[in-house]
Amino acid sequence: MSVSETDSEVSARLEFEQAQRSEGWKLLRGLLRDQRRNLLIGGLIGISWAAFKVAIPQVTKFAINDGIEKNGPLLKWALIITGLGVLTGILSGFRRYVAFRESRWAETLLRERLFGHVLGLNIGYHDKAQTGQLMSRASSDMMQIQGFIVMIPITLSNVIQIFAVAAILFVTDPILAIVAMAPLPFVNLSARRFSNRIHPASLAVQAEQAQLANVVEESVSGVRVVKGFGAEQVQFEKLKVEADDIFTESMKAAKIRSNFMPAIDVLPALGAVGVLGVGGHRVLSGQLSIGDLVAFNVYLTLLVWPLRNIGMIVALGQRAASALVRIHEVLSTNSSIVEPANPKSLPTGGGAQYGAVKFDHVQFGYDPTRPVLNNFNLAIAPGESIAVVGATGSGKSTVARLLLRFYDTDSGHVFLDGVDVRKLKLQELRQQIGVVFEDTVLFNDSVKANISFAKPNAAQADLERAAKLAGAHEFILQLPNGYDTVIGERGFSLSGGQRQRIAIARAIISDPRVLVLDDATSAVDPSKEGEIRDAMRTVMSGRTTIVIAHRPGTIALAQRVVFIDGSTIAAIGTHDELVATNTRYREVLANMQQKESADREPVVSSLAVK
Amino acid sequence: MWQTGGVSEEDKLTRAQARTILGRVFKMAEPFRKSMIIAFACVMVTTSATLSAPVIVRHGIDAGIRAKDIGALNLSVVLYLIVVTFTYVFGRLLFVFVNRTGESFLRVLRLAVFKQMQRQSMAFYDRNKAGVLVARMTADIESMSELVQWGLLQFLSAALMLVFSIVVLLFLSWQLTIVALLVMPVLVISSIKFQRDSNRAYLTVRERVGANLSALQEGITTVRVIQAYAQEDEVNRKFKISNRSLFAAHEKSVRISTWYFALVEFSGVLASALMIGIGGWFAHRGTVTLGTVVAFVLLLSSLFDPVQQLSQLYNTVQSAGAALNKLFSILDSKPEVDEHHSAVDLPQTGELKVSNLSFTYAGAENPALDNVSIKVGVGEKLALVGPTGAGKSTLAKLMARLYDPQTGKVEFGGVDLTMATMDSLRERIAVVPQEGFLFNGSIRDNLRIARANATDAEIEAAIDAIGATDHFAQFADGLDTEVRERGSRLSAGERQLVALARAALVDPAVLVLDEATSNLDPGTEAEVEHALERLMAGRTVIVVAHRLSTVQRADHIAVIADAKIAEFGSHSELLALNGHYAELARAWQKSHTVTS
Repeated sequence: MSVSETDSEVSARLEFEQAQRSEGWKLLRGLLRDQRRNLLIGGLIGISWAAFKVAIPQVTKFAINDGIEKNGPLLKWALIITGLGVLTGILSGFRRYVAFRESRWAETLLRERLFGHVLGLNIGYHDKAQTGQLMSRASSDMMQIQGFIVMIPITLSNVIQIFAVAAILFVTDPILAIVAMAPLPFVNLSARRFSNRIHPASLAVQAEQAQLANVVEESVSGVRVVKGFGAEQVQFEKLKVEADDIFTESMKAAKIRSNFMPAIDVLPALGAVGVLGVGGHRVLSGQLSIGDLVAFNVYLTLLVWPLRNIGMIVALGQRAASALVRIHEVLSTNSSIVEPANPKSLPTGGGAQYGAVKFDHVQFGYDPTRPVLNNFNLAIAPGESIAVVGATGSGKSTVARLLLRFYDTDSGHVFLDGVDVRKLKLQELRQQIGVVFEDTVLFNDSVKANISFAKPNAAQADLERAAKLAGAHEFILQLPNGYDTVIGERGFSLSGGQRQRIAIARAIISDPRVLVLDDATSAVDPSKEGEIRDAMRTVMSGRTTIVIAHRPGTIALAQRVVFIDGSTIAAIGTHDELVATNTRYREVLANMQQKESADREPVVSSLAVK
Repeated sequence: MWQTGGVSEEDKLTRAQARTILGRVFKMAEPFRKSMIIAFACVMVTTSATLSAPVIVRHGIDAGIRAKDIGALNLSVVLYLIVVTFTYVFGRLLFVFVNRTGESFLRVLRLAVFKQMQRQSMAFYDRNKAGVLVARMTADIESMSELVQWGLLQFLSAALMLVFSIVVLLFLSWQLTIVALLVMPVLVISSIKFQRDSNRAYLTVRERVGANLSALQEGITTVRVIQAYAQEDEVNRKFKISNRSLFAAHEKSVRISTWYFALVEFSGVLASALMIGIGGWFAHRGTVTLGTVVAFVLLLSSLFDPVQQLSQLYNTVQSAGAALNKLFSILDSKPEVDEHHSAVDLPQTGELKVSNLSFTYAGAENPALDNVSIKVGVGEKLALVGPTGAGKSTLAKLMARLYDPQTGKVEFGGVDLTMATMDSLRERIAVVPQEGFLFNGSIRDNLRIARANATDAEIEAAIDAIGATDHFAQFADGLDTEVRERGSRLSAGERQLVALARAALVDPAVLVLDEATSNLDPGTEAEVEHALERLMAGRTVIVVAHRLSTVQRADHIAVIADAKIAEFGSHSELLALNGHYAELARAWQKSHTVTS
């Protein structure tokens, strides 16, 4: 909110927020529509529960009047009340059950929907999105929504209960009803206000707790600095400030509680005082029976919780509304990578070798005003291997991303086996491209699951074939549980080279037409580089391969070198040709080499800090 | 709303442990005993007031209405109003004082635990994972704040309410009290069972929430791989499994509460029915008055509500107990490196002498250092080299007393480091770790880590001493630039410069350096080299070296292999020896000339 908002800006903003909110509610209605049958049942159970609950004091009143005062049949009344107890007990249990079950179910489905949607969003979206934000959409925002939904059937029966009780009171004695119920609207009002005020106060406490966590975290992680300089006192002082802040904010929250909670507790009692005073005099003047008076008191207590809950649901609803808006925002974001309506398919059969890749006048920039690739033309023959070389930020990794359709070109086309990648089903396209990323990402799952990731139903033989080609089979057999060893489990970790080879096996298991190797050696101990390159060489043979080279050693693997400079292809040829003819190529290469030797040096005696 | 905590079997406290913990809690709460007593008094007053209400109503009905005595009725009304006012006033005070007591306790606990953690030596940090220590200070303490905010209050007033109710009921009529308590065994037994089952269910839910969040996070962070292999459907399917199993856990825990709450509601009504039936019979016989039966009907809830509340709070109290147990075990761990009671200041300068030093890391089988002796004269530079894990870093750390040796000693200017005051030790000997670790705050704040009371002029002088004044002057906010979390705003080289400036601010006689293994951007690399050179000038330097250039600059080189000093001498002497060092030097040289 800027300070200098004009009226029209304010109204435009309010209108926008209003529209957002109504979209959020629409989302909720959509969720609940599928569960309306169960919610309706929950509501009906709640209403019957309320009816019986309200009946009990009435029956108790009769029991006192008829059974005790007039020496009537006690057993009959006791049994009736017990019967009502059984009914309210069962109904109350089911009311809770349905409310919680349905709210959890709605939450569960919405989370799945959100997750699926996020997974399908284009990579450009993920480049900008923060994991933490998305996580809180799927966790804390979901919680807010669940907390609201659970209240819906409960609130329904609460409302019924309030009306029923009010009706009974008014029928019994309208004047006394007014006296008894006069303070009650304030219970509702206070509960609502309380809920609204305590929420920001709790957030403030949480914020201070987070700051304290930061101080602890840095003191523990930076313990060597703290110890080395004897900075214990400095950190302690910092922590003290945060601990004091938590105390201050917590006391503010306590103050809010003390302002509301006792009042909410005491207000109904004021009604009870009125009932005793006014009611007592009315009994004395014969306008009311003692049984009615007692029943009045009991009914008053029946009103307290429903009124409090209704006050709370208003505040819960507001919080749920903002959570819904945030979730709607994600769900309404559409992937900018769109599947074609009438997809073409890749040519198959005929004994021909596939894997022809062509970039035709491609222009692309992550920010369209600053193109990374410009007028980029490249044809790779089936089975050919190409090394893409360029300085950092030259766009060499972009080439592979465009082929995978992580991004769409701004203009120009990318073809796989003569078909524009935009005309293919994403799944068909991506299944034909095996990628090894620069930062080897493996899942916390078994080695087997990781390798067969691209082909979940792969046979063990396929698995082993891929692992053997990638030079991973041997060491996998040495692992504690072989192919079933879970990666990333406690007390067990793979070396960088081993991870790389598993990633390579994963890339080739489905026998893709094109292999993209985003320099798989960069995160590997130099002594192991050779092994990785051997594995790369094996899997590349006879397959179209694009190697994105970050290290000079990797370039030698490819038949041709594509040198990208100034956002386009500056030169194409064999490594030796380029070295001989292109000064800029030599420069970039020298730079790489220098970086590499710097990278290597410490490895000689890499220091493990205990 | 009905389940706020849980505790696993292994964390459960024994009775004796619980007693000890309670005792310690009271001892820690000593400084704010006054607010604790006021809080307790408030609980007593409000609980009694709440309970006296039905008694007053009974009096109004029996002595006032039934006896047709308007005076007695009016008196009851006035009394009732007074009681309500009391409940309100003391209720407000109650919240303030209970929270003040609780939050004060948490504050004291936070400070004490952190202080104790800070006093621990490096060995403690080797043993305990950073995440666990952070969790102690955050999650474990915060797990108690709910208890402090309202749980403790509820616990106290529920317990009091239960006791008072029984007393009041007994006072009204012992016969009816027995009637009222008839359903109690059912309620108590089912509450205990509920508490156990819900605790187990809660732990399952918590575990599955964690697993589900991990699955979620893995999905989001690995989205590039998932899309590259077109496995969105498969990953969705797996997530669905984890998500549905979380739902199942929730459902189970709701089911547990379903029967319990049904039973509780039924018990309440059943008690009323019994009261009408049996109480009515007593009334018919004239054993009790009608008003007493009515009062009992009204009082029943104050008998049953506390049992319910206590059972629900039990898990919260238990998990708080488990958390306290862990926190007290930190408070009980003795720092291994501590100031001796008769410690003396180290001399301004002097020789650093290591004699017959042996050291084994806790839990390790083999010693990291085995009977090592070495001397470094004033202003001399010693480079420590050797393979990973041979003990060179350990030696450097012992020379700065980050650990104490098991046998042998390190002396500075003839004073054993274990006999030196901590302040003088950190002033004479400064350690610069390999990566420039920065704290949240400005560059200036980060220098003050080394000397809290340094003036701005001293800080600028330190920056100047390492020749980095111009570099930081380029920043818009100069030395007041906020470095953000872990110094993310600065480059690796700039972080190193700050780390070196810290050491310059201390102006130590001895500098212990752990040379950076990671690479810096070529621009700042030179600056850092330059800063390092200026910092080392005129000081005794112990450097854990990874680069040939550094080693060549040293006066002496010690090759550490297998926990011992394998070779000692100058660069040329060691080359001539043609042993470990010569081999290492050749490897270094070779890696400089890489062919493609």
